[in-house]
Amino acid sequence: MIPQETGARRQETADAGGLPHRVAAAARLAPARSLTAVALPVAVAVGLVAAVGPDPPEQSYYVYVAAESDDEVSIVRYGPSGAENVKTISVGSFPAEIEGPHGLSVGPDGRYWYVSIAHGFPYGSVHQYETETDTWVGAVMLGLFPATLDVSPTTGLLFAANFNLHGPLEPSSISVVEVETMTEVARVDTGVRPHGGRLSRDGSFFYSVNMMDGELVELDALGFEVRRRLSLGDGVMPTWVTRPTTRGKAYVTGNNVAKIFEVDLSSWRVQRIFETGRGPYNLDLTPDGSTLVATYKAGDAVGFWDLDSGRERARTGTSRTIPHGVVVTPDGEYAFVTLEGVGADPGTVEVYRVASGERVAAVDVGKQAGGIAFWKMEE
Amino acid sequence: MLIVAGAVSLTVALGSARSQQPEEPAEPLTIEVSPNRLTIEVGEKASLTATVRNAAGVVVDGATVVYFSRARRSVAVTRGGEVEAYQPGDFTLIALVPSDPDDDSRRPDARVEVEIPVTVPKPEVERIAFTTVPLKFYAGTRPRLAVEVIDVVGDTRTDVEVSYTTSAPRVAAVDRFGFLTLLQSGTVEIVASAGGVSDTLSVAVDANPVNSLELHASAATVRTGDVVRLTAIAKDARGLTVREVPVQYGVGGQTAPGIIAAGAAAQIAEDGRFVAERSGTYTVVASTGSHSAARTVSVERREVRREVEVVGRGKVLDRHTSDLWIWEGTDGRDYAITGTWGADGHAYVWDVTDPANIEKLTEVQVDARTVNDVKVSEDGDVAVISREGASDRQNGIVVLGVGNPREGVPVLSEFTDQLTGGVHNVFISEGHVFALSAGRRFDVISIEDPRNPHRVGRFELETPAHSVHDVWVSDGVAFSSNWTDGVVAIDVGGGGRGGTPAHPVELGRYDYPSGWTHAAFPYRSHSTGKFYLFAGDESFPFGAFNPEKGGAPSRATGWIHVIDWSDWDTPRDVARYQVPEAGSHNLWIEDDVMYVAFYNGGLRVVDISGELMGDLYKQGREIAMFLPGDPQGFIANAPFVWGPQPFKGHIFFTDWNTGLWAVKLADHTGPGAIIGEPQ
Repeated sequence: MIPQETGARRQETADAGGLPHRVAAAARLAPARSLTAVALPVAVAVGLVAAVGPDPPEQSYYVYVAAESDDEVSIVRYGPSGAENVKTISVGSFPAEIEGPHGLSVGPDGRYWYVSIAHGFPYGSVHQYETETDTWVGAVMLGLFPATLDVSPTTGLLFAANFNLHGPLEPSSISVVEVETMTEVARVDTGVRPHGGRLSRDGSFFYSVNMMDGELVELDALGFEVRRRLSLGDGVMPTWVTRPTTRGKAYVTGNNVAKIFEVDLSSWRVQRIFETGRGPYNLDLTPDGSTLVATYKAGDAVGFWDLDSGRERARTGTSRTIPHGVVVTPDGEYAFVTLEGVGADPGTVEVYRVASGERVAAVDVGKQAGGIAFWKMEE
Repeated sequence: MLIVAGAVSLTVALGSARSQQPEEPAEPLTIEVSPNRLTIEVGEKASLTATVRNAAGVVVDGATVVYFSRARRSVAVTRGGEVEAYQPGDFTLIALVPSDPDDDSRRPDARVEVEIPVTVPKPEVERIAFTTVPLKFYAGTRPRLAVEVIDVVGDTRTDVEVSYTTSAPRVAAVDRFGFLTLLQSGTVEIVASAGGVSDTLSVAVDANPVNSLELHASAATVRTGDVVRLTAIAKDARGLTVREVPVQYGVGGQTAPGIIAAGAAAQIAEDGRFVAERSGTYTVVASTGSHSAARTVSVERREVRREVEVVGRGKVLDRHTSDLWIWEGTDGRDYAITGTWGADGHAYVWDVTDPANIEKLTEVQVDARTVNDVKVSEDGDVAVISREGASDRQNGIVVLGVGNPREGVPVLSEFTDQLTGGVHNVFISEGHVFALSAGRRFDVISIEDPRNPHRVGRFELETPAHSVHDVWVSDGVAFSSNWTDGVVAIDVGGGGRGGTPAHPVELGRYDYPSGWTHAAFPYRSHSTGKFYLFAGDESFPFGAFNPEKGGAPSRATGWIHVIDWSDWDTPRDVARYQVPEAGSHNLWIEDDVMYVAFYNGGLRVVDISGELMGDLYKQGREIAMFLPGDPQGFIANAPFVWGPQPFKGHIFFTDWNTGLWAVKLADHTGPGAIIGEPQ
């Protein structure tokens, strides 16, 4: 038997030690409270419902989740009866190949959802489905390993980062797609291994990070050209950038340096740096911009940051290894987190209460759960 | 009303808008673009001007307009509305005004935008020229002329109609396809015209020297699928052979009694090669215009059919099974290694010395979700398995010691450098592993010291969008299967062009229109000595299906192409093996028999002896067919054969849903079911 290289399933508790980290700016983190992961029974099959955690919501929240090693997208609901995998949709078209669904997005009008398929011959693609029926509508071939997606609320154009994770270290690009016809209408070279990408609220700019260039890139989303670049430091490997807040800030992960950078978009410089758990990977914000939620891929944990104080108010260990994506509900109450797992382990979707960092639910989906997108809330 | 004037101001305006709910919906806007349609030539430019108006018809100053093209590589448009045409055709540009993200009153799809049709006419023809011209023209014959049409941008045009005229209809007539009918000796000018330009060919028609025509056949009685070479010899009045006389062949005949409505039962090629798909009697006629000759060939049934007997199984019912390799260990026993797909990174090692009692010896687990390929070295000492879906995304390959699996299968080493994109397929040849890297190239990794593998070379195509699926090495030549780039032959030590594993040298390539090139098996025919490359397709045009346990089976398409590659520079697709209801996957050829997996079509065994031409399936060359299934299978009762390997009188194969099988062919007991043939 070969020793497992990484990721044997671990049942870690959260970081019980203090967090006496000092950040560059004036804000100082208070030692974190000792946290214990909440262990809940999890559903292991579609249709089974997790045991209900404390204070379940009165309404239901729906997310789409990609299982990268099963070529599936699941619809997960968290509601009064707990978390449930309500539907699984097979994606891709080659049964004997793992094509790798990676990024997800739901269009601003809620009528369609989009998934990036990483692998092809050789290029990846983005596929469009109807949300109510999950009927496939169309597809467009893009670059190598298209990953993160976002759809503009003002132009309706879809932006996809061509990650090119396994290719040579040469510049890749951002694709721009007209979704009415699923046609690539522009491709903008940005840098090496672009990943993460979010549009500004007015759709004027698309922000992305170049993982191997250590840069945050601002793309003119109306003219399809790079406007500004910001270096985050030598050797920094950023993996995500948030949508800009109403205060004009964006947050960027420094995955290999255990940091999150707060960038002021007006002055175009790093304003604060947060010392985080190991491997901050994906981020999301509450709509009011008060809380930042981070997945720590190498640390098997999720962090909750109060942005006014600049302190991590909670860090919770995940129930399975390799956390990946995160999305916060529009009411700011919950964060959904995906966990990849190892080998034949199912992927998992966990639900956390944002205010406390408490895990309140979890449900298994297909292998290597990664990309996630919020769909809707229902009474 | 929110007007986009710039990023910063827009953000501020947005914040303001959010702080108070709009009491009235935003005023509807309109956009007009001038010109509202364009016709421009290839290489030309034009400018668009957009005007945005409010509901009162007042022009909105500083409105942001976004332009884009739905075919940017044919017609491009800049942010400022500058248009440039690159290719002919009909295209659409879009001009839109971004909407206000806080305006909930407007329907999401009521975005203000307009389409601008753009027509780019096809370039004019610049010249036309005769290309293929016979050396001699003889009265009574019917040669064909060929022309090339070039337009003003230098492209060869095949869509332009060419017309032909003759200056002397009594000497020669010409039809719209360029076929000349040479009526009598004399001189004539043939003019080819297209798009207002023309070329003239002066033809001197000589008296036809042919006084007699003989037609010889290489065989008088054959089986279906056997190729007969018809040779026409034209002689003059002195009995001397006349060369350069065009000969046209035709075939007619009757199928054997009992064969009804057979369709096209036989074919004759322009070079006189004949093959029949149905038994019967066929007459080939050769004509030089003035003289003709006929030869009759009798075709019998091929009668190669054999039944398949199941000998043993290595059941794998809880996960998908991928590829296999069978070898003789250093202890003299026979072993198999199989991979798994979409599961927990296992490979299984089996003792198959007694195929009727296949015994699983050990499981090897690696950090992966799929072990897609397994290969063993020529000496049976070392195996390499591939990884996809590793949790750390490093993937790569793992080297195992398999000389004596009964004593264990140790991990000797792993290699992941620049193989992070998943290694879909591998091959071992003379101490080197040829491993696919991210589906774009193959790397050559030395395992001469299997505990210390290191990269020595690589090979990657330079074509746009190149992709590789498989590599197979034989006698120092690597054959890579490259989807739309077809098959590429590469000298890695045996091709005679100085190639080595460290410095591969391309020998030649062959592609075909479907672009489905998935696997290749090089083979020198035992019966003819001819070198063929069998290229296998893989295609799933019918969409996705559910591969989960208990899910639905799928259906593939595609076939095996038989390429005559006697000369690296002139490969020719000469035959095919195509199963109507299924598509091909992996294959193996030995002793003039092809063993091929056809996914939902099961295992097929095919007689490929002799010269190959045409449709091998319809010729009755299929020896056997077997559809594995198991009600307990990962997908129940759903054959999905992955790959075969004949070994010591048995045929081993893996099936995606049921695992490892060992079968053998029963002795031939008489004519079996042959497509279209009477029983």
